[in-house]
Amino acid sequence: MASVEIIDVRKSYGDQEVIHGVSIPISNGEFVALVGPSGCGKSTLLRMIAGLEDITAGNIRIGDKVVNALPPKDRDIAMVFQNYALYPHKTVAENMGFALKLRKTPKAEIEGRVKKAAEILDLVPYLNRYPRQLSGGQRQRVAMGRAIVRAPQVFLFDEPLSNLDAKLRVQMRAEIKELHQRLKTTTVYVTHDQVEAMTMADRIVVLHDGIVEQMGSPLDLYDRPANLFVAGFIGSPAMNMFKGTIRATGAPHFETADGTRLPLAAVPPGLDGRAAVYGIRPEHLSLGGELKAQVTVIEPTGAETQVIARLAGEKIIGVFRERVSVKPGEMIAMSPDLKLVHLFDAKTGLRLG
Amino acid sequence: MPRTLNRILIYTALIVWTIIALFPIFWTFSTTFKVAKDVQLGHIIPWVDFKPAWLGLRAIGLSPDTIFTESTPRTEFIKRFWNSIQASIGASILALILGSAAAYGLSRFQYKWKIWKNRDISFFFLSQLILPPVVLAMPFLVLYKELALLDSMIGLILIYTLSVLPIVIWIMKDQFDTIPQELEQAALVDGCSIWGAFFRIILPIAMPGMVAAFILSVILCWNEYFFAALLTSSYAKTLPVMVASQTGSQGISWWSMAALSSAAILPLIIIGIFLERYIVKGLTTGSVK
Repeated sequence: MASVEIIDVRKSYGDQEVIHGVSIPISNGEFVALVGPSGCGKSTLLRMIAGLEDITAGNIRIGDKVVNALPPKDRDIAMVFQNYALYPHKTVAENMGFALKLRKTPKAEIEGRVKKAAEILDLVPYLNRYPRQLSGGQRQRVAMGRAIVRAPQVFLFDEPLSNLDAKLRVQMRAEIKELHQRLKTTTVYVTHDQVEAMTMADRIVVLHDGIVEQMGSPLDLYDRPANLFVAGFIGSPAMNMFKGTIRATGAPHFETADGTRLPLAAVPPGLDGRAAVYGIRPEHLSLGGELKAQVTVIEPTGAETQVIARLAGEKIIGVFRERVSVKPGEMIAMSPDLKLVHLFDAKTGLRLG
Repeated sequence: MPRTLNRILIYTALIVWTIIALFPIFWTFSTTFKVAKDVQLGHIIPWVDFKPAWLGLRAIGLSPDTIFTESTPRTEFIKRFWNSIQASIGASILALILGSAAAYGLSRFQYKWKIWKNRDISFFFLSQLILPPVVLAMPFLVLYKELALLDSMIGLILIYTLSVLPIVIWIMKDQFDTIPQELEQAALVDGCSIWGAFFRIILPIAMPGMVAAFILSVILCWNEYFFAALLTSSYAKTLPVMVASQTGSQGISWWSMAALSSAAILPLIIIGIFLERYIVKGLTTGSVK
């Protein structure tokens, strides 16, 4: 186990820079998720930690060693790939033991360690099968088994669950988290799925266009998104947002372009008249109140009801625990939880107050 | 009813095609046992049209009455046969080694030479097939004379390697392209060097393609006549050249030519029957996932 430190790392292809000076400290035993839309540089960053991609500038440290120039085999890391990358001509046991075999580990020890990993991952009956004879979920487990038999310093996961169906994904999510709690190995996990990142990680790094937008615990990011991008990216369904102006005259409120008034608890000092974006999460709206929106779609899931409606010319989504009896086309009344309203600067997109 | 009709039509077509495909082979084999009169009269069916004779096999010392005696033509035949084996296997092995390495490079690494990139280099290799070999006859004759490679086995192997290399590179590049890069990357992370990943992971997976490329180039080299006739004379002459030279004072000895042709075809037929599925497997990997 070791800490990983990414220090002002940059990556260019030709004269096009795709990662613009990213610094992420990862402490020993931590589970960090790198999350962001496709093309944000998260996979490139992971591959730079693995040594599969050159570092244009900056440093990457694993433990107390700068690994910039080290080939992957000398970094003592294990990686799980999106398409599993199992060796098709080797059995499950050979796949899992390959790294140990390369390190000239005695045969008996390889067998023991493979067996132990197989027990953890429920793979014992499949040890002599070939990857093509396994289901997607089993292949995924073999890929993880290959990583854990080595007991490496760092686990690297590159979107390991995106090839699985929804149900299996939820199941494997829990398994990976459990595995981490058991092994306590430093883990860097890349995903585009913010739910995966939220549920698994100790800390989330949101990347966008090659820069770090925000770093923090899952609930930090959810409760206090630093800017509009993080606010829109974290949380599902996404946060409702309205453009307009902050008004302190009379009762504090937020006025949209068409004059709709959205309530505010208080106006932070010095922000009266500021052009801003008003954000409220769908789950922080409750039924009844001063906002009247026209319903377009109702999506009941049983546990909750999702209402898509139009307010002030924008789409607004509300998620309610109650059953909703209105029909599309009718008006629905809702109100935001004032303590949970977010304000962002309209120009910079940064959080206000 | 239409289904039965359908089947009849399909099978008729297949049978007709089989006859068309197999008839030349039958013709060659049967001519081995014909005398001059039968050849000229175009007799086809043995024992009905003509009485089989040992003429052809006797001409190369392989008929029952000559097989246990000293026979110059047989020694000659065995020498040519051995030359053909050496040239085709030697060239195929060399082409496979060079071609696989080139194909792997083209499939995995990005090259740039002036304005040329990977695609252009690949096309350059393949474009070698566009040029008719005749164009190269003079230059190669002069070159081989200068290098003292005329009528030598090494010279023959080199030119055969050159001529099958484009096909080997093409097949192997296709093969390597279907292997996901993550496999090598996983091997690198697991502790392999780049060469280790190539030998331990990629080569075994690419094996079907290599077998197909090897068989294909053996067949091409085995059948090659033009350069063998041009660049060899007494020492390194191959079987196809010997087949073509069966002309005696009374014209062409059809029977001995047919006997030699049969002997030349035989290895290919064996390859075709027993290794065909490897060729198909090698050439179609990746097309079905």
